Formats: sequence, C-alpha cells, structure tokens
Amino acid sequence: MFRHTALRYAALGLLASAAVFQAFTADYFGLEILTEILILAMLVLALDMVAGFGGMVSLGHGALMGVGAYGYALLSTMGGLAPPVAMVGAVLVSGAAAWVIGAICARSHGIYFIMATLAFGQMAYSYVFEAPIFGGDDGLGGIVRPDLGAVGMDLNDSRTFVLFCLAALALVYAAAVVILQSGLGRSMTGVMHNEQRMRALGLTVWRVKADVFGLSGMIAGLSGVLAAQHILYISPGLLSWTVSGEALVVVILGGLGTLVGPLVGAAAFVVLKHEISALTTYWHLVVGVILIAVVMSRANGIFGWIEARSAQWGARRSADPLHISQTEEARSDA
Amino acid sequence: MLETRNLDKRFGAVHVTRDVSIKLERGERRVILGPNGAGKTTLFNQLVGELTPDKGSVHLAGVDVTDLPVAKRTRQGLSRSYQKNTLFDGLTVAENLGLAAAIHTSNATRIWSDSLARPEVQEIVQDVANQVQVLPYLQARVSEISYGVRRQLEVGVALATRPKVLLMDEPTSGVGPEMAKGFHRLLNDLPRDLTVLIIEHDMDLAFDVADTITVLNYGEVVFDGQPEAARGSKLLKEIYLGSWEDA
Repeated sequence: MFRHTALRYAALGLLASAAVFQAFTADYFGLEILTEILILAMLVLALDMVAGFGGMVSLGHGALMGVGAYGYALLSTMGGLAPPVAMVGAVLVSGAAAWVIGAICARSHGIYFIMATLAFGQMAYSYVFEAPIFGGDDGLGGIVRPDLGAVGMDLNDSRTFVLFCLAALALVYAAAVVILQSGLGRSMTGVMHNEQRMRALGLTVWRVKADVFGLSGMIAGLSGVLAAQHILYISPGLLSWTVSGEALVVVILGGLGTLVGPLVGAAAFVVLKHEISALTTYWHLVVGVILIAVVMSRANGIFGWIEARSAQWGARRSADPLHISQTEEARSDA
Repeated sequence: MLETRNLDKRFGAVHVTRDVSIKLERGERRVILGPNGAGKTTLFNQLVGELTPDKGSVHLAGVDVTDLPVAKRTRQGLSRSYQKNTLFDGLTVAENLGLAAAIHTSNATRIWSDSLARPEVQEIVQDVANQVQVLPYLQARVSEISYGVRRQLEVGVALATRPKVLLMDEPTSGVGPEMAKGFHRLLNDLPRDLTVLIIEHDMDLAFDVADTITVLNYGEVVFDGQPEAARGSKLLKEIYLGSWEDA
C-alpha cells in the first residue's frame, strides 16, 4: 500500500524547491532541461502507478504518451479546437486507449503482459508511421501552446512554460496519491500481492486492472500533450518502444513502487544524459553501467537505497544505549 | 443453502468427483472427511468456481451458480479459506481484512475515497478481528505474525466478505494441539445462521464442530450422516477412521 513517510515528504519538498529555484534562475538551456525532466517525470509517474503498485510492467506507455501528443496536435490543428479543449480531449483519448489495452492485457501476467503491451505500442507506432493523416515519418508541426493571456501568463515564454509543467506535475502527483490511496488503488495493490485471493474475495480483477491502466494512460497522455507543446513538433519516434524502455529504466533507477523515486530517477537520468553526452557520444553505456550497478546492489533504485539506509540508521539510533538514555532524560525533563 | 446435484469431474483417466450430491441447510455445520486423494479439495474448487464440473450443478440459496465465475459466487455469499495461507504478506492484518471488507461493501473500486478508512469497512475489520482473535495484531504485517495467527487470519479474510456459506479447507492445517483447540472455540462461536462446510483431518475438531459428516472416498460420497453414526460406521473405520481409532 502506498504510504507517505517523513522521508518521502522531505524528498518531495527538496525536489519541488530545487525545481522552483531552477525555474526562476536558470538560463534558456537550463529551462529546457528542466522541462524535459518534468515531462519525463510525469510519464514515469504514470508507469510507476501500474508497474510499482499493480505489477503491470508496461512497454506501451511510450505509445500512450504518443497518443496524447498526436491527439493534441490533431485536435488543435486539424480539429480546430481551442488548445485547452484539445488537451482535455487528448488526455481522454489516451485514457480510453489505455483502458482498452489494460482490459485486453489484464488476463496476462509477467513477461506475457510486457510483450502484449509492447505489441500494442508497436502497432500504434507502425500505424502512426504509415498513416498520412499523422504526417508519416515527417511528423506534425504547427502545434501551439494554450493562450493563458486572460490570466496574465504567456506560455510561449520558456520560464512560464516550465512553471506550467511544474504545476501540472504537482497536480498529477496529487491525483496519483489519491488514486493509490483510494479503494481502487488499494484493490490493485491487493491484486499485485495475490490476484487469486482477490478474485476469491469477489473482486472483478480485470476491471480493476483496466481502470488503473486507463487512469495511468491519461497521465501518460498528458505528458505527451506537454511534450508536443514543448517542442511544438511531434514525430512517430515518440511512440517507439525505446521511449517506453527508457521510462522503465528511469522508474527502476529511481525506485519502483515509491512514486517519489521515479521523480528522482527522471531528474538523475536527464541530468546524466546531458552531462555525459557533453563528454562522450557513448552516454548510453555509462547510464547502462549505472543501471546495472543499481540493479545488482539489490536496492530498490536510488530512492529505495536512501529509504533502506534511512531505516537502518533509524534502527541503529533507537538501539543505541546512549541515544535511549538521552531520550529518556529528555522525556523526564519534559 | 448450498447444494450439489450429481457433480462429476475427471482429470483424464482419474475420476476425482463421482456423482456427488450433498445438501447443506442454513446454519448447518458439515465436515467433509476422507483420506488423501479422496477428492475433497477438488470438490471445494468446483463449489467456489475455481474448477468447472464435467457434469452436475451447484446451487447457492436455490440459485444455480454452476456457470458463475469465482468472484460472482463470492458476491452472492460463498466464501472460502485455503489449506495453504493465501494472505497479502506485505500488508498489515487490518489491511488484509480491510481489502475483503471493502469488496463486500462496494468500496473496492472507488476512486476518490480511501476504502480502508470507510466506517463500514472499519466496523467489519474490528468485528472479524475480534471473531478470529487477531485484534492485538491489527497493525502488524502478516510477515511478522506467527503461523497460527496467520491461519486465524486466513479464516478472518474469508469472513470479512460476510458470507452466507463459508468453506474452510483444513483450517487447522499445520497448527499445534493448543492452537487447534482455539480453533474449535472459534468455529463454535461463529454466528449460527452461517452455513459452514469444512474439510478437516483433525477428527476431534470434526466431531466437536460438525452437525453432519460427509465422507468421500475415491471421489464418491460413502457416508453422509450424524457424527455419532459416523463413529459407529464399519465402512468408515475401514477406509478412514481405523487409523484414528488405533492411534
């Protein structure tokens, strides 16, 4: 079950403070990196919801992000809808697509679930690549950002757009917490622990999986909408399985099933990518070595490692006789 | 309350359930006895829908539920506990009971409210925890409690769905004599309107708890009657009770 601990609150506070500080002080390049982190963070948050709390490891989330991006582009350009309406429409389309995928894949487990989601992702990629309406290999341009002039915001300004993405991520994180602590989220965690028993207790398991996958797909879709608004151009590469694979790497790097960990992972991954790629074109190798080290350490990613060390430190501290006597003295003083 | 009519099941050449017809009245406590391989658990699995019979039907409160999936049968009031613990190990005792109670109270799929914090769920959790004597362990994780308490919780999770019929597959499996006596009390204290069907090897428990005893041998009902009649049955002594009386 998802629980917020003091450490998780502290990590969230630290991440939010760093992001706000960066948003107000960074130069253009720094703002671009921050935007990339925030959009990736949203995608991996969506993936962690299903993989970390439902055991549904998906290689189709890149495609769901692409559905959101293409949905927004088509609805706002060819569909003529106002960008805010197109955003809502694109998120709903992504959610619906994810619900259908979740419902179909719900009866498979483990490697079969991964392969089934991968197949859906590649089908979507191939279709977008071939269909003329999506611009084929050339992709789609002419994408606009919402006009928030009425509230005094110009989203064409990089700094304002970063704050817009940050606010969206904060809202999505809050929504994810509410979902994971809701009846649906708790049932999904029960399914991950023991699907047969949950079914024997009267739960319609496939429906729970599909519903959570649909909600996760809406978040992935929103990350795609923001990605389209960020670059103002989209191509089929957004739906590629490599995007899904990269998101999975980030979730594992940060800490599967912690919700905070993937945010840490997104920041670490994007910063590493930019820093190492400035030194060598083989940056993937370095990230690969780091990922192997994380996996081999048996820690649950960077944040999982921090949580484990913190718990060990807490246990040692409470077992320390000097600390106990000091605590007792403090109590008696009080 | 629960009835099977001519239930039949084969696994290839092995005939595991042979034309089994049993009928449990509301509030009845029935124990199914039989040697290993008699088809007791296979019969259970057909009752709850985990296995489909080749022939025959299962009726719950007069309704034919043979074609209903497991989850729907549970929602209609048929719940089971397992011979091997099937608990949610990483979760607390309260969360284990709460997940079951949330399904029963239709809170399990709500998006905007915490199912485990709902008053109706909390009420069931407290009530069942008291019933199966796990109240002191509510906040402990399953991995932190003893095997015997886990067996009690296994029954508790099934009870938290507020069933009309409770099926228990060897509830005292693996527990010591003292803990088994606690189970006798627990079973005898269950609400009298609850219909209970138990697979059990513990003869003391069977004769202490049962209103009726059914004995299976090679998938076939060879005895169906009062515990006292079971004690005196020569056939039973031959196929099953001999080893118990000799012991």
